[in-house]
This record gives sequence, structure tokens and C-alpha cells, in this order.
Amino acid sequence: MNKFLAVVKREYLYRVRSKMFVFMTILGPVMLAVFTIVPGLLMSMKTEDTHLAIIDLTEGGKLSKPVRDALLQQDEEDDSAQYREKFVGSRNANAKNRFQKAGRALRGRFFVEEVNVNGRSLPDLKRELNARISREELDAYLVLPADLLKNSESNPTYYGRNVGDVITREEIEDRLNRAITRQRFVANGVKEQYIDQLSRPVDLETHSVNQKGEEGVEDTGAGFVLVFVIAFLIYITVLLYGQVILGSVVEEKETRIAEILFSSVRSFTLMVGKLIGVSLVAVTQLGIWTLAFIVLSVYGVGALAARGYDDVAIPHLPFSFFVYFFLFFVAGYFIYASIYVLIGSMVTTAQEGGQLAMPVVFVLVAGLYLGFPVIRSPNSSFAFWVSMFPLFSPITMVVRIVSQTPPAWQIILSLSLAAGTALFLIWLASRIYRIGMLMYGKKATIPEVLRWIRQD
Amino acid sequence: MPANELTVKLDRVCKSFGEFVAVNDLSLAVSAGRIYGLLGPNGAGKTTTIRMVVNITAPDSGRIDLFGGRITEAVQDRIGYLPEERGLYKKMKIGDQLRFFAALKNLSGKEAEQRIDDWLVRVKLSEWKNKRSVELSKGMQQKVQFVSAVLHNPDLLILDEPFSGLDPVNVKLLKEIVLELKTAGNTIIFSTHQMELAEEICDDICLLNRSRKVLEGSIREVKRAFGRNAVALRFEGGDGVLDDRTLVSAVKRYSDGVEVLLAEKASAQELLQRLVATGAIIGRFEMIEPSLHDIFIEKVTEAV
Repeated sequence: MNKFLAVVKREYLYRVRSKMFVFMTILGPVMLAVFTIVPGLLMSMKTEDTHLAIIDLTEGGKLSKPVRDALLQQDEEDDSAQYREKFVGSRNANAKNRFQKAGRALRGRFFVEEVNVNGRSLPDLKRELNARISREELDAYLVLPADLLKNSESNPTYYGRNVGDVITREEIEDRLNRAITRQRFVANGVKEQYIDQLSRPVDLETHSVNQKGEEGVEDTGAGFVLVFVIAFLIYITVLLYGQVILGSVVEEKETRIAEILFSSVRSFTLMVGKLIGVSLVAVTQLGIWTLAFIVLSVYGVGALAARGYDDVAIPHLPFSFFVYFFLFFVAGYFIYASIYVLIGSMVTTAQEGGQLAMPVVFVLVAGLYLGFPVIRSPNSSFAFWVSMFPLFSPITMVVRIVSQTPPAWQIILSLSLAAGTALFLIWLASRIYRIGMLMYGKKATIPEVLRWIRQD
Repeated sequence: MPANELTVKLDRVCKSFGEFVAVNDLSLAVSAGRIYGLLGPNGAGKTTTIRMVVNITAPDSGRIDLFGGRITEAVQDRIGYLPEERGLYKKMKIGDQLRFFAALKNLSGKEAEQRIDDWLVRVKLSEWKNKRSVELSKGMQQKVQFVSAVLHNPDLLILDEPFSGLDPVNVKLLKEIVLELKTAGNTIIFSTHQMELAEEICDDICLLNRSRKVLEGSIREVKRAFGRNAVALRFEGGDGVLDDRTLVSAVKRYSDGVEVLLAEKASAQELLQRLVATGAIIGRFEMIEPSLHDIFIEKVTEAV
């Protein structure tokens, strides 16, 4: 027992004191944020300005000015947000809109010129503008056909240098839509003051109803984000600490420390001590993150409420969720960590270990991705089977529990299957570990490993 | 511990890995308080034998007794083992590593701390206690490994090629420590293929070759049993004496003399008398014992 504790203690302190641990504990949440937000930000980032020309062929050229105005309307929220602002007040200034606004600020501006048609033909005008585009004086131009306001089938055309910039194109389309729709309303005799009011988009309010028939508070999509975060947390922690285990096993094999250790302590004691020591490191890290989350959400929600954002709800998680989360995390950790021990005992270097562990990473990633269809229909038979399979259930069952808690028997069955698999894999890994750790020189082959399992 | 007590006793021990027989029908006895040399070429079965003694692997058949009983975890704590293939945790401080290895032998607290300090002084590494092992030279790391094997003052110390790669100053230091431990009554099993070293510090030896024991006994006995009577000679005259095949079986000529191997049943005394009788002037007449090295080479090549 003393020896077991010595192994656990060494493994724990060695890891917790390492720079890597401090780094990951602080950086983990930052990275999660970075991976979810930054790609969106980068996509919407455009620092170059866009020089646009408008060829307005409509009668009297009345359309070019509203289109120009819509394009020049800079750094203002889009129409729907304006409507919300007007009619619903500040409560709709939710994170999504603020995020879009921040994204817009990073985009380049539009410079718009109206082309004086002066009776010239379209091909002439186009030739001239194409030449300017080729001289890089202009980025693109729009052609507004003569019947644009009268004929609802008629469409404007975009000619530009960079048609791959989907985001700018979409933005132009969006703004054109607004300006042209508005002008079509006006052309059809709708009074301008009614237009804003009538075209206000609807906002679907969402409430969950639980098994007891109680309604929850309005769900603004934070529930979905939370499920994703939880699934990601299990995935990243299991992956990270699986790798730690692999590194630890390979280090003791590579440096031949295993031989000294085996002469003092049984290999099974050593292996289980290692698994538990590292699991405590993982639990410590998750504990720090959970605590930070609770502090931040309590403090953060308070701070937001004080500023009037009183409906920013942190989705309520019952205490039982934390118990399930912990149990499934532990099962998942031991399943994957044992596989990593098994791999570590077969290889001779960390590099070989990394290669052999690739399929394991794929399975884990599959578990994470399978979580998405499960969130959408947590009661389907697909969700059921996926949450019973022990290699996926630590992620998928937790996802089900958060989105729509399944019957208790399913949770218990899934947990039992995962725990049984973990125990079996620990046994299997220990058979391979006790012999593989003393085999130097070359990577073990499958027949060798099968012999080790049987060997006394 | 009485001198005739056995620390380690192997009785007809066999161990194979699949088709490969690593140790075949091996019996040996290591007496308490002596240095026992386990010798043999690479692949002879030394490491497998040692692994069975320290209870890393179990024999397929046969029996191993330590301190007169079966191997238990408590008995394991009385053993110190320095494997040939060895290492340290790269990023762990020396003090922490030694504390961990001590804890694995049920040695902890103040006593462990005191012994770590004493030993580090002894091997001149005190100022490295709080350094990570990557910062130490290979020789220093080897001394730390040695300390980890002796820290708990084991009754049985097993050293597998303990000096390989060390500089002469450190070899001398560790050799002194090994001899001191022997004087203090610890039993030491010493595995090596450096025969000069074995000859220098071992009391008893066992030679393994191709999974079997070739010979065993005290160095004295082994040399006598090897039964090779060689004489180094330098003389003038004495014509024809060395050609007598009933007296001399082989002659090796060197620049300043010859080395002759006496024939069976012939004695050195007889050779000397014959030389004197023929009027030879003798400059040198010395009985030479076979070196362990010679015995090793002969026994190992004989088997091939």
C-alpha cells in the first residue's frame, strides 16, 4: 500500500508541478474559446477597402443613390438589429449581435461611385469598367438592370476581380437586398414609415419542457453551446491525459527505469498507481476549470444583470449531472488510458507510440462528432446505440444527459458497459505491460502481444 | 549472519521464452557476506537469472530461495538492484528520484532523507541534489543509480555491469564502496563480462554459457580445477628438454622467454629438475595460473 501511494504521489506531483500542467490549465479555456471564435473572426476579417462602381440602368437612375447609401452605411447594425433595438429594446442586444458587430468592424469599407450612363450602351460601359478593373483602379461593379424595380424576377449583376471573397459578396447582396426591397415597396405605393415596421423579422423564443412537464427559462442557444463545451472538455481531457500516460509509460521503458521499479513493486501496482496518479491530475485540472466556470458565471451573470442584461441565463445544471459527468469521465479516462498503457508497453520510443496511437485519437474524435447528431435528436435509436457503445458513451451519453435526460436504466446500462470495458482493458493492459516493459529493442508484433497476454 | 549461510539458492531453475531457452537447469548457491560473480558472454542468461532472483519474472520450473525462504514483497525490500539497462527520470530532481526509489523499498521520512544526504556526500554529488537528471553527466547519473540501489542498505545487492562507462576515478570510488559493503556483511551478486574486474573483487564465481552453468566455485577452486599448469621460463641451454612430450605439451615462445604448458601427470618440479640436470642456466622459473579471462575464453569457445 505504501508503495502504491508512493507511485501515485510521484506521478501526481511530477505532473502537477510541471510547466505543461500550469500552461494547459490556464490555456485550455483560452484555446477552447480560440478554436470556436477565432476562425469566424478570421473569416470575417477584411482590411482592404472595396471600390465599387454602380451602373444604374433603371428609369431616371433613381436606384443608384439608395444602393450607394446602403453600401456606405458603415459600422451600423444590420436592419434586423435596428428593428430589435427599436421594438424590443436592449434585451435583444445579445451576444450574437455584438459578435457580428465586432466582426464587421474588422472588415474593409466600401467606396462607391455612380457611373454616369449618359445614354451610352451597356457593352461600352462594361468595356470601360473592365479596363479599369484590369488596371486595379476598381475592384468590382454592379449592373442594375432597367426593370429591376418592376420585375421581381430581375436581378442585379456583379462583375469583380475577386469573386472568391464570398463574405464581401454576401455582404453586398445583403445590402442590395435591403435597398432594392425597400425601393420596390415604395414603387408599389407602400408608405415609407410602414416599411420598417412591416418587415420586422420574427424572433423565435425557445423554452424547454422537462420530463416533469415544467417549463424552463428561455433558452437562447446557450444550452447547445454548453453541451458542446462539455463534450469537448471530456474529449480534450481524455486525449490529453491519455497522451500523458503514454509518455509516462514510454519514458519508464525508454530509460529502463521499469526494470528497477519492477524489482521493488508489482507491475500491476505500478500500472494502476500510474493510472490513478494521472487521473488525479486530470481531475485537479477539471476541478480548477469547473470552479473558474462557476465563479465566472455567478460573478459574470451578476455583473451583466447590473447592466441590464438580466436574461443572460447560464443554463441550469442539476447536481446529478455533475455526478454523471464525473462517473462517465472516469470511465472514459480509464478506457482510453489503458489503451495508451497497452500501446506504450508495445513500442520503444515516444514517436512510435504516437504513430500507433493515431487510430485511438480517431475513435475519440468520432465520439466527439457523433455527439452532434445526438444533440439534435437525443431520443433516436441512433443516439441510444451510440450512447451504449463504451468507446463513445463517455461523450455521447453525457451529451444526451445534458440535452434531454434519458431513462435511468439507459444511463446505468451505459455506465455499466463503460465500467466493464474499462476493467477489462485495465486487466488486458496489465498483462501486456508487465512483459512489454522489459522488452527492449523493437516494437512488439501482434502475435508476440497475444503470447504475452496468455503467458504466466 | 554465519558465513556458511546461503543468501540465494537456485535449484534446477529453468526459464524459456517461447522456443528460446534462456536458463536451463541452473542450480547455484550464493553464500552470505561474499561477492559472487555471475559471468558469461552476452545472451548466456545472466540477466534472466537476475530477473528471477529479484522477482521480476518467475521461473518455469525449479525453486529459488532467498535468505532461506520464498520470495515475498518483504524480502524484495532487502534487495538492491542495479540493472545493466538503467536510467533516471529525465526531468525529476535527483533528491526527489532517490526519495521515490527509497519509498519503493519502504524507506521514507527523516531516515530516507538522512541516507540520501550521506550517500550523495559519499559519491560527491551533494550539490546536485536539486538538479534535474538531464543536467547531470552520464557518469554522475550512473552514480545516482548506484546510490538508488544501496540506499536502503540491502542485505543482497545485485549489480549488473555496474562500472561500464565510468572513468577510472569513479570506478575506484564505487569499487571501494562495494568492498566496504561486503566487509559490513552484505552479500553482493556481481554480473559482468569484464574478467579482470571479476578476478579482482569476486570471492566466488559462476560461469554461464548458452543458458547453462559451465563452472562454479571460489576463484581459487575454479583455477585449480581448470587444471592448467603453465610455467613461464627464461633459460639458456637445457637442449631438448622442452621437446619431451611426456613433460611438456605445448610451448609458446615470446621475445624474452617461453611459456610452457606441462603435460598431464608431469609436475613443475620435474621440469625444473630436468632443466637443472641438463645444465641450463635459469633466469626465470614461475608457475603461472590461468587468468579468469583465459578460462572464460576457453570454456566459451570449447562449447562452440
